[in-house]
Amino acid sequence: MLEIKNLHVKLAQEDKQILQGVSLQVPKGEVHAVMGPNGSGKSTLAYVLAGREGYEVTEGEILWNGENVLEMEPEERAAKGVFLAFQYPIEIPGVATLTFLRTALNAVRRKRGETELTTPEFMKRARGEAAKLGIADDILKRPLNVGFSGGEKKRMEILQMAVLEPTLCVLDETDSGLDIDAVRIVSDGVNRLKAKDRAMLVITHYQRLLNYIVPDRVHVMAGGVIRKSGGKELALALEKSGYAEFESKAA
Amino acid sequence: MTLAATRTKAEQALSQNFEAVASKLPGGRAIAEARKAAIGTFAALGLPHRRIEEWKYTDLRSALKEALPPAIGGEAKATAQDIDRALEDLAALDAHRLVFVDGVHRGELSTGGILKGMKFTALAAALAKSADRAGEGLLRESAQGHEAVIALNTAFMTDGAVIHIGANDRLETPLLLVFARSGREGRLVTTRNIIDVGAGAQATIIEVYVTLVGAASGQANALSQIVVGDGARLDHAKCTLAGEAGSHLATWMTTLGVQATYRAFQLTAATGLARNNLFATFKGERSKLDISGCFLGRASEHIDTTLVVDHAVPACESRELFKGVLTDRARSVFQGKVIVRPDAQKTDGKQMAQVLMLSEDAEFDSKPELEIHADDVVCGHGSTSAEIDADMLFYMMSRGIPLPEARALLIESFVGEAIDKLESEAVRTAFSAIAKRRLANLTG
Repeated sequence: MLEIKNLHVKLAQEDKQILQGVSLQVPKGEVHAVMGPNGSGKSTLAYVLAGREGYEVTEGEILWNGENVLEMEPEERAAKGVFLAFQYPIEIPGVATLTFLRTALNAVRRKRGETELTTPEFMKRARGEAAKLGIADDILKRPLNVGFSGGEKKRMEILQMAVLEPTLCVLDETDSGLDIDAVRIVSDGVNRLKAKDRAMLVITHYQRLLNYIVPDRVHVMAGGVIRKSGGKELALALEKSGYAEFESKAA
Repeated sequence: MTLAATRTKAEQALSQNFEAVASKLPGGRAIAEARKAAIGTFAALGLPHRRIEEWKYTDLRSALKEALPPAIGGEAKATAQDIDRALEDLAALDAHRLVFVDGVHRGELSTGGILKGMKFTALAAALAKSADRAGEGLLRESAQGHEAVIALNTAFMTDGAVIHIGANDRLETPLLLVFARSGREGRLVTTRNIIDVGAGAQATIIEVYVTLVGAASGQANALSQIVVGDGARLDHAKCTLAGEAGSHLATWMTTLGVQATYRAFQLTAATGLARNNLFATFKGERSKLDISGCFLGRASEHIDTTLVVDHAVPACESRELFKGVLTDRARSVFQGKVIVRPDAQKTDGKQMAQVLMLSEDAEFDSKPELEIHADDVVCGHGSTSAEIDADMLFYMMSRGIPLPEARALLIESFVGEAIDKLESEAVRTAFSAIAKRRLANLTG
């Protein structure tokens, strides 16, 4: 289970508080959505979960399966099953996608006490998962994300997730910039990964994605706190009313 | 003005050393005269220093504190195993090998027989035999600002490879020219290669400058004169591992005929002071050249790449890509000049030099220059220096890749873009492995 308790986060370099006491629990096997207007702190929450530098946790904690995530380096978190699908995936020139995938997979396997995959085993796995996401073989040979379209980059995030088999999947605005067909492909990829020992946190501005990835719980975030939680119908209600109610209170 | 009167200790020693060894250097009377004239040129100029534009960032006068005694042959001990060890990953390359130890050709360490399509003469033998053509040819070579370094080469050169590839001949395996250093004492080793690739011929030639395990590094002055004939292609690579206390002054002077192709690559690492001069001149239309390289500097190493590409005729294409990685107080210099003469319409030139800085104390001086006198050309250049991208590191770490591995992968991929310019897979693999090992020294 993911437990976020009274999380306060500010920017490390400036005196700007972003999260002001976020509390949230995502049990294994469930999909939770965090929705909210721009600037509400959604992406900060995602980055802090993954361990990006530049943020300072001033109060609160994050536990994953009872372990304190905030004390771990990003690669340790990955080994413990934490995965962030980036809103803006990073281009890595010169590193072929397959090389990247294999280096990452073997690193987490080593850390998890599993044996590394042989080249044929790895290729079979990577190609198999890529095929399910409609990712062509030649893309796997290209440097990771370099010159990829927006849709290709998002699919590549899901491919990495499928190959690395994390147990806590955090998806940050995975539908942004995607046309409806791409949303469907990406969502199908996420839905295939739903499992009873896996928790998912889907961060999104729009309700659209939640038509495809149906959440068990929806949390509305505004002004750096969770303002309201409910079932999937909460997302539909928000679609009609918008975030005005929350923004005015926050102001 | 009394400038000429002040000479450094090293400059004086170079002139004195010449007097001491002149009678033992190879060549007939005409060559001896040429050498004498050359040391005279050097004595008048002295070592290049920072007030000479081309040497602003690499002041040889202050960098070369002493002149080591010149190697003039003798009983250098070296076995084939010693050479293999020093060659690292290039030892396994399927290549025809010509080995020079302390500046002297060693037939017994070289591959027996002769490559089909190639004529080889040791420079010492060529100098002894011919007082006319070879000698004359050598002395005509010069380059602005580099007269002193070239004159020193002419004065002291002991040996090298004189290679001729016959018209339309193709060398089936690469030719590996190995310049190894042996012995416990540092010496000045001066070599010269003359490479002539005939019309329509093709060859891969790799120069390697190494110090045998346990031997002292020293000073080197190496010069290669290259002619790529009409329709010919030369893949020319160099690997310099001269040693931390070693200095390496090298000059490549290449001319290209009509529709010729010249692909050059230089890897420089583990070298105290390196100055790599590359001069390439298009003499025939519709030719292409690609000059690339990779330099890795640590401690207080200083690696300078200075190149001049001269588009003297129309419709030629030039590409340059250099990638460097610097740590500690290492410094690198890149000076890239592309000249497009008034007649050289339809010139297509692109140049890029990029450095990855692993330390705040490292320094990169970059001076790209375009000198364009024609109006219908496409030319561009760029230069960057940056640290390892923090976003890339975080992205990789978030996928479980530990920080040291993420850094290594990013650095390898950075230089990989230059190493990928080597088109032969076997050659590329060997250079890549050597670079990877040297990178581990930088980051470890």
